[in-house]
Amino acid sequence: MTIPTSVVSPDLTALTLAADEAGLRVLSAAAWPETPDDVAATPLAGFIDSTFSPLVAEAAGRALRRRDAGAPGSPTSGSVTAIVIATTRGDVTSAIRVASAVDNGRGVPPLHFFQSVPNSVAGHLAARWRLTGPVVCVSGITAGVEVAALLITDGDADAALVVSVDLAVTDGDRDRAAAIVVTFPDVQAPPGMSGT
Amino acid sequence: MTDGSAVPSVSAARRGPGPVVLTGASVLSAFGRGTEALLAGVLSGRPAFAPVRRFDVSGRRVGVAAAMPGSPDLRTEVARVVREACDDAGLVAPDRARTPLFLAIHVHPDLARAPESDRPRLGPGAFTASVAAECGLAEHRLRTYTSACVAASTAIADAAAMIARGQADRVVVAGGYLVEADQFGLFDAGRVLALDGQVRPFSTGRRGLLLGDGIGAVVVESAATAQGRRAVPLARLAGWGRTGDGYHSVQPHPDGLGLARAITAALQRAGIGPADLGYINAHGSGTSHSDPAETKALRRALGDAADTVPVSSTKSLHGQALEASGVLELIVTLVAVRKGMLPVNAGFVGPDDACRLNLVLNDPLAATPEHALSLNAAFGGANTALVLGTP
Repeated sequence: MTIPTSVVSPDLTALTLAADEAGLRVLSAAAWPETPDDVAATPLAGFIDSTFSPLVAEAAGRALRRRDAGAPGSPTSGSVTAIVIATTRGDVTSAIRVASAVDNGRGVPPLHFFQSVPNSVAGHLAARWRLTGPVVCVSGITAGVEVAALLITDGDADAALVVSVDLAVTDGDRDRAAAIVVTFPDVQAPPGMSGT
Repeated sequence: MTDGSAVPSVSAARRGPGPVVLTGASVLSAFGRGTEALLAGVLSGRPAFAPVRRFDVSGRRVGVAAAMPGSPDLRTEVARVVREACDDAGLVAPDRARTPLFLAIHVHPDLARAPESDRPRLGPGAFTASVAAECGLAEHRLRTYTSACVAASTAIADAAAMIARGQADRVVVAGGYLVEADQFGLFDAGRVLALDGQVRPFSTGRRGLLLGDGIGAVVVESAATAQGRRAVPLARLAGWGRTGDGYHSVQPHPDGLGLARAITAALQRAGIGPADLGYINAHGSGTSHSDPAETKALRRALGDAADTVPVSSTKSLHGQALEASGVLELIVTLVAVRKGMLPVNAGFVGPDDACRLNLVLNDPLAATPEHALSLNAAFGGANTALVLGTP
């Protein structure tokens, strides 16, 4: 599979390797940043202050669009796709923002309640792309891919979107995300999931 | 958004052939340390909610939670509860050294206030590794779940799925949440905390949820491995299901479609029908939208049995323990069923037509169910269902 990337994504490499290791077939893949044009993530309505959720939505959206490219009709109908978010530290920016508001006796911005867990952006993706499989958030790319493989093997999903995301926490570090859509070669592919 | 007809049925719930059992459990809640304190607390029918003294709540709309006295340290307490669960299961040191830990937590508790230079090492996975090391558990195959109020129940389902397939012999699954200022401030700002200081699941006049301390740990093990070391199972982990609503970032599907699929998958894996259930510990958050959605899910998945199976939400007693809810509530279900007494759905003031279920009211119900269901739902439309069976 070729993806239009001119920026090396170690996370995408790690996701793909872990998928290979698990015997999963990668239907599509994406990263952020992919090209030098990826300077700032597109804001996501309802999510504030932090790039965490917008980056998940961007990387996942790219991977899902590539999976569905050329497929007629509703590409996800008939399929149960799980969403697995893998992150080492979670939404550090939001956590710091909330802690600062609490410590300074200021009010906590109400929108932060809704983005306080990675499930929320997963739910956004689920509604936007009609993904009805389990929603799971774990620490680390290997764990994320293992969970995806287990959910498919166990029959609670027949495909999985695995998104890796981590925000910069020190100077010189950079926000990054990557996403793959995976299934097992022997899982019956519903219409529109034949992409390779 | 999606209508009912467009939602595919559960793919095809499958399970590996191996029976899965629970061989040890321990817990901490606002009722105190240990399963006996929890059982006595929930069977008392008296909610553990009280004014918060652990941190300043003067600027908040609500100042009530179910918290232990003082300011217990999360890492210390999680490690203690994990060790106690291993002791309860009779695991000797070499057993522990081969057993991985799956831990459900929100974030590393030190992250948000750490100096910038410390932040890279303050992931929740590092927290899990430090707990595992302190408890003499395996260094590898650790896993950290952060998926909100289904984090612990998903971890339990995954552990069971792996064991049933022979991918693991034994996993310790734990979850931990102790009421603290940041989540309290978020839930207060989100206007979901009950202004009247009580959680009233499925009741008319319900005002919302309240947070509660909860740390739980269970030893999930293959029946063959347990038998091989002459351990006596506490219960079978008979079935599990996990689904998503595909509906909204934070709201549940109003018809409970995803939760219904999770229940059906769990019953299917357990090889039982709705009429075989003798108790349901509901998600029952006590919020206006979630309880009717859950009622619809139960009616959709169980049919007529939804009129007769006893139901309570023990969040009305111990509060909402966030990432730890799934393991805390499974342990409540376990100890209640073993005692033969089902806890009440506290805070009930009157029926709501949108929430008609056979609620356990007034007094605990004497019953000895062969199968019981524990439900959880979370932001993102995430749902889980776990079925316990008598050993």
